Amino acid sequence: MNEIKVTSADEFDIRDWLRTDLMPHFMCPGCGHGIALRALLWACHELGIGKDRLAVVSGIGCSGRTGAYIDANTFHTTHGRPLAFATGLKLARPDLTVIVISGDGDSLAIGGNHLIHACRRNLDMTLVLLNNEVYGMTGGQVSPTTSAERFTTTTPAGNMEPVFDACKLAEGAGASFVGREATLQTPALKDLFKAAIAHKGFSLTEVISDCTEIFGRKNALGSSPEMVLKQKKVMIPAHTDNRVPEPFKPHPFETGVFVRQERPEYGEVYEALRARVREKGK
Amino acid sequence: MSTLQNIQGNAACAAGAIAAGCRFYAGYPITPSSEIAEQMAARLPKVGGTFIQMEDELGSMAATVGASLGGVKAMTATSGPGFSLKQENLGYAAMTETPCVIVNVMRGGPSTGLPTRPAQADIMQARWGTHGDHPIIVLAPHTVREIFEETIRAFNLAEALRVPVVVLYDETIGHLVETVDLTPPQPEDIVTRTFASGPAEDYLPYAAGEDMIPAFPRPGDGYRTHTTGLTHDERGFPTQDPQKVDAFMKRLLGKLERHAKMIEKTESVEVDDAQVLIVTMGTPARAAKTAIRQLRDEGIRAGLLRPVTLWPFPEAALRAAAKGKRAVLVPEMNAGQLILEVQRVLGGAAPVSGLNVFNGEPIAPQQIAQAVKELVK
Amino acid sequence: MSGKAKNANGDGVTSVLVVGVGGQGVIMVSKVLATLCQEHGLEVKQSEVHGMAKRGGAVFSHVRFGRQVHSPVIPAGEADVLVALEWAEGLRWLHYLNPETGVFISDVRKIIPPFACRDRGRGVMPHYARSTPRDVLEKVSVGYAMDATDTAARLGNERAANTVLLGIMSTTLPFSENAWLETIERFVPPKTREVNRAAFLAGREWVKDATVPQGEVLPQVEVDPALPQARNVWDINPAWCKGCDICVKFCPERCLKLDAEGKAVMVKPELCTGCRLCEMLCPDFAIRLSKEIPEKVSS
Ligand SMILES: Cc1ncc(C[n+]2csc(CCOP(=O)(O)OP(=O)(O)O)c2C)c(N)n1
Ligand code: SF4
Ligand code: SF4
Ligand code: SF4
Ligand SMILES: [Mg+2]
Repeated sequence: MNEIKVTSADEFDIRDWLRTDLMPHFMCPGCGHGIALRALLWACHELGIGKDRLAVVSGIGCSGRTGAYIDANTFHTTHGRPLAFATGLKLARPDLTVIVISGDGDSLAIGGNHLIHACRRNLDMTLVLLNNEVYGMTGGQVSPTTSAERFTTTTPAGNMEPVFDACKLAEGAGASFVGREATLQTPALKDLFKAAIAHKGFSLTEVISDCTEIFGRKNALGSSPEMVLKQKKVMIPAHTDNRVPEPFKPHPFETGVFVRQERPEYGEVYEALRARVREKGK
Repeated sequence: MSTLQNIQGNAACAAGAIAAGCRFYAGYPITPSSEIAEQMAARLPKVGGTFIQMEDELGSMAATVGASLGGVKAMTATSGPGFSLKQENLGYAAMTETPCVIVNVMRGGPSTGLPTRPAQADIMQARWGTHGDHPIIVLAPHTVREIFEETIRAFNLAEALRVPVVVLYDETIGHLVETVDLTPPQPEDIVTRTFASGPAEDYLPYAAGEDMIPAFPRPGDGYRTHTTGLTHDERGFPTQDPQKVDAFMKRLLGKLERHAKMIEKTESVEVDDAQVLIVTMGTPARAAKTAIRQLRDEGIRAGLLRPVTLWPFPEAALRAAAKGKRAVLVPEMNAGQLILEVQRVLGGAAPVSGLNVFNGEPIAPQQIAQAVKELVK
Repeated sequence: MSGKAKNANGDGVTSVLVVGVGGQGVIMVSKVLATLCQEHGLEVKQSEVHGMAKRGGAVFSHVRFGRQVHSPVIPAGEADVLVALEWAEGLRWLHYLNPETGVFISDVRKIIPPFACRDRGRGVMPHYARSTPRDVLEKVSVGYAMDATDTAARLGNERAANTVLLGIMSTTLPFSENAWLETIERFVPPKTREVNRAAFLAGREWVKDATVPQGEVLPQVEVDPALPQARNVWDINPAWCKGCDICVKFCPERCLKLDAEGKAVMVKPELCTGCRLCEMLCPDFAIRLSKEIPEKVSS
């Protein structure tokens, strides 16, 4: 007699990485941060990171709240400071894989100083910068990445300020790994995260995410699926000559890995210093 | 080997921290506290620890708490303007019950004020600087030796009670060099937080026993907990349930009261027969001791009560010391902060007056003696 | 059915509780009411609470008016009128309604709220949201439950649902139709004046012969019984799905659909290629596709 045995061919089940008792999560319908979170956990899964050794440090914002759903050591810190908390944590515990989740307001406005210095220092951790062009959590105010002429609650006549390009900023500040991907390209986003986490040193990964409920509505960007699809229209894969023309328009964005270089990692540099002083002390 | 050395207050602070087991320091330079950072930068790598100069005080406080969240004893030091910047993340430490030590070497304010001159104007900020009701311990040493001791005690209390502890002294003692014995404490006198142990299943990171202090889940030990500055329940997850919030806040605020005996520390000098009780801390307490001797030589009986643990304030000790006194004098290097607490505690049981100096000069013994004489006239 | 708010003559204090979720216009309803009262010489107290400062969080507003009003807050069991822009919110606040005389007015639409991290068992529906309009209307003294969102949509803008309910509410209070209309005009964007006017009148009209709407029946998912070589198995978790429509619109084979509750369901399993686009783009991790590969085991 023949019997049919059924096996599943699937490896990654996000539920293995979630605190399922907290689900459904608090994000709005269609929020891009959820898609980014999936890609991140998918990357962790493929890298074989142990959940006990994974530390996720997040800031304040809808972006920062995503950390709580990860079944790992999670730290929901203060607005703009997650990189600084993570710096202490990683230096004290080099054995942990440290991932920082932050928003465009969190990292580029209030936390801008910590960002540039984290890039410069090159301590081994990965920043996931969820860029939705807006302060989602506080109800849709302008952020340093809000495109020109977009409406937010604090730019009722349309945004007049130029934007930050987070990747260029990081490159200028000396980050040793910089990349950008959109939530629409979930597998590519996952691969970007994998490369960033595996990279020894500070990595910045900017995610083009969508705030569907606030920014989307305010600017009549359409339904959630329409918003995700729009990413495709303005996306330019890296290493074409088609660079972002000027940062002042609702701009197309490049995707891909922009910087990847070997630089001395801060933790290792410090360990060498310890060895030196111990040697001298003998 | 003799452990007697000529050492500056700020250096004694660093020595105390290392002796207490501090292995992480994050700071940002500011007069008159910078020597602590310089000392830690030199000492920490020798003992396998880490020093980092962060980009600002917001970052240095955050990194300090971050390191402690990793299970390592951590400290930061600063002065007035930097202390203001540390407040938000100090509140995070209080809320998440993360042990850490913050040294504030006080200088004249407000704002940039008198960077190189002493003051004691952060007494209230040390207690109430961060927003929201929160537990905090503040220790106020008055000699170089005491800076060493109190820094060790700060770590012990922080670790035992999972609370931020502030070591508060003014520029005068910070920069004072004294010959002191820095014998390191016995290992049994060093406290390290209790780390969570036992099964990870159904583990509740913020469930505390009778002592109101939950064991600390060290990352990597398998508990995979959530830490947040949002008000949280026993699982560590945000809650707005009034009952849970109430229970949490009561434990958070109540734990110091439960361990009051461990925390409280005062010094009394000739209080029993005194007509006038002087209540003061830090540098003015040194002047007060001299003044008491002079006054007694002249037949005027003055005594001193000095809170070594400034916050929580030693209410019972003050009430007992002030009993039957003709007057209470509160000399301080500010426009009147400690006196507010003294008046509140005594509630009219004795007349309280202040001696306030805020011109950047320490209070001299003669000024205190003069003020006492006025009171007994 | 008809009803007047008990204290609506202005002698005592009338308490109106307006509830809903962010973005529905709770505040607009309460502002219109408060302004109207104030212009009729009454003392008004209006207080508002936004749950989370973003779309989808619970929002409620207390409006109390009369000759003299002290407390701005309505005690439980003392609201004369409860206006709910969202069904589940209405039920959640039901105990605020005066059990003897209160008037209950609600849209029957449910909105999947973006839940904050809180104590919810996996997949547990809040029990109150299961009550049908009929169950509820039997419990209150006067109740109006209508699909205001649908009414507003048919008039050209579903966001005017709050104005439809305002129309119903207006029949319980002693102000003239014109006074209502004039005030509403001042609180809505000029472009939407017409639709709001129509919505208000539709609500008022509907009261005349209000009936309880029937509950809709969920379409059943049919699964192809023929077992292909590698079988795709979908696990769509309705408790996690927020109905964003991303999976539906992105599925290259158009296999998915939102059901009447706004939850994704598999409707054409035979067309599914197992590409996983739906799973990868679902922001709520509500879809899990696994491929079961039957292998023969001889025994
Ligand atoms: C010190 C401080 N200032 C302001 C706030 C209020 N606040 C909370 S989240 C936020 C903005 C978040 O925007 P972003 O980082 O882009 O995250 P998003 O919600 O868009 O994911 C602000 C200003 C705060 N929590 N703390
Ligand atoms: S407000 Fe915007 S960013 Fe925040 S959860 Fe909603 S859609 Fe996402
Ligand atoms: S993408 Fe997810 S949340 Fe959105 S409708 Fe589909 S299953 Fe539901
Ligand atoms: S796996 Fe692909 S084909 Fe199948 S339902 Fe999902 S998106 Fe459609
Ligand atoms: Mg944002």
